[in-house]
Amino acid sequence: MTEGKAEKNIDLPEGGTIVLMLGNPNVGKSALFNRMTGANAVVSNYPGTTVDFMSGTFIESGHIYTIIDVPGTYSLEPRDAAEEVAVRMLRDHPDATVMVVLDATKTDRGLYVALEVMERGMPCIVAVNMMDAAHEKKITVDIAALQRLLGVPVVSTTATSGEGVRNLAEMLRKAQVADIGAIAERLHGEGQARESVRGCDGCGGC
Amino acid sequence: MAKGRHVNLSGAVMAVEGADAMVFSSDARWEMVDAITRETVTYGTYKYTLGDVLGDLTVKPLTGIPVAFAALYAFWSVFTSFAGALVTDGFMVKFFDGFWLPWMQSVWPDPASWHYFLFVGNPAADTCFEAFGMLTSGLFVSIGVVLPAVFVFYLMMTLLEDSGYLPRLAVLMDSVLHRIGLHGYAIVPIILGLGCNVPAVTATRILETKKQRFIMMTLLALFIPCGAQLGIMMSVLPDLVGIVMLCLIVGFCIFGFILNKVIPGENPEILVDVPPYHWPVKEYVAKKLWNRTMGFLKEAVPFVLFGILVVNLLYLGGVIQGLANLLEPVFVTWFGVPKETVGPLIAAFLRKDLAIAQLSTIPMTTYQMVASVVLVTIYFPCVATFVVMLREGWKELIAAIAVLFVVVFIYGGIIHGIGILLGVA
Repeated sequence: MTEGKAEKNIDLPEGGTIVLMLGNPNVGKSALFNRMTGANAVVSNYPGTTVDFMSGTFIESGHIYTIIDVPGTYSLEPRDAAEEVAVRMLRDHPDATVMVVLDATKTDRGLYVALEVMERGMPCIVAVNMMDAAHEKKITVDIAALQRLLGVPVVSTTATSGEGVRNLAEMLRKAQVADIGAIAERLHGEGQARESVRGCDGCGGC
Repeated sequence: MAKGRHVNLSGAVMAVEGADAMVFSSDARWEMVDAITRETVTYGTYKYTLGDVLGDLTVKPLTGIPVAFAALYAFWSVFTSFAGALVTDGFMVKFFDGFWLPWMQSVWPDPASWHYFLFVGNPAADTCFEAFGMLTSGLFVSIGVVLPAVFVFYLMMTLLEDSGYLPRLAVLMDSVLHRIGLHGYAIVPIILGLGCNVPAVTATRILETKKQRFIMMTLLALFIPCGAQLGIMMSVLPDLVGIVMLCLIVGFCIFGFILNKVIPGENPEILVDVPPYHWPVKEYVAKKLWNRTMGFLKEAVPFVLFGILVVNLLYLGGVIQGLANLLEPVFVTWFGVPKETVGPLIAAFLRKDLAIAQLSTIPMTTYQMVASVVLVTIYFPCVATFVVMLREGWKELIAAIAVLFVVVFIYGGIIHGIGILLGVA
């Protein structure tokens, strides 16, 4: 029995862009994929549901995007055959745009693989998914600050309800290569700025 | 692009590699991640919810194991009562045996002809199981018996998957599965395999080492009956399902234990992300159920019909009778089952549910029935599973089949031996 229609041959329409979805297992990549392409990828609540890739297309402002949903991975050093599929897809599509999907309740873990992708110099966009779950857990993610720090578009989404998916599709064209050195400098700078504020005695100079 | 630029981030050393990419050490990366989350994520005070309480209760062994039994028992009783008692016995049997079969037998011309034999089957049959024609038994087995079974099975499975219970079951089963060279997460392919072995074989990719994947795939092909098979067993041999399952579970453990000792390789500790419980999203459940049921209709029904056609053609050509005579010594003296079970074993390669339906029409003692059903389950994966195993690697497939022949021979003999000791064989 096969589930859904997994397109094994990814043929790129003329002038289209390949978008690779990447992120930790169980962050909702397949749910987002289904929302964007109308496909039938299997969605469940356990890590490791997707063990193979699947592709689908959608058109946004006249531009064709081919999205590839790959198995979730904690890093780009695969530890099982499913993660190998994800890393292989990244290697096979060096010109692709990467959509890094994060779980808003576990941003740190997802950011690790996001940084790994950014180091490769591929154009990126970040989707912070599961905003509803984060809201329930009283976790807030400052999307604007994240975007400023990373220097790539960051969009908040809730794939189960479809919130933010439209925005994510529109922002895809703004995906860009992150300057990892600049990210580090910005982090360093903000850290320093904060420290100086902390050490301020209220001299009135600022 | 940062070209060969060195950046110091709170003392972390970053290695620079290649012309236009910066590659960090994993420590440096984690430090950046920490710095980013410090700037962007705030955690409020978190209230302990009902979901968390349930989460704890289902993972701690003391409460978790009874909960697991209760969940599996609930699963099983809904499965048997809805699919078996309500739909199949309450409606399908009456319809197929009461109307469909007599009608086919009365309108199809020339009961002595080959086409009558292929499509309608035995002109004297009273039930759709006995008739064994494509349009009688074929439709009855696939639509009347197996469809309701897989439908309700997939519904239950989807609820288990979408709620987040599976990873918790994985944690609970961890120590048991470690003894057979696997770890707790192997429960995912096992549960998927109880629905259909095909997605289960692909799901073995979540296991880390080759050893684990090989053991899991082999055990899946051998001892895990699929939903279609469970459905038909419940319908034709409701009293024997328990003992058959016992034989399979015992075999699963024994041969898992042996494989673990024999096969070289690692079996690392489980590292599983246990997600919070969710109420399954209605539309997802509906969509998944629809896709899986349609998948069954599109792929399994033609296979059942085709299987009957092949078996009937082989009967007409005398191939099955020839094979039965040839294999008689092995079957009768080693396994203790009648030689007529050769026919169902051929059908089992195409569809296991079909094979069980066919077995049920052969007059046999209880022991022979149990032994032959167990043999049909373990002897060979169905063709769809075979193909997907091939896709995962032909070397492993050949090794798995070699193991399979040895296991069938040994385990079939053991069951016969136990039968003799108990005085039933």
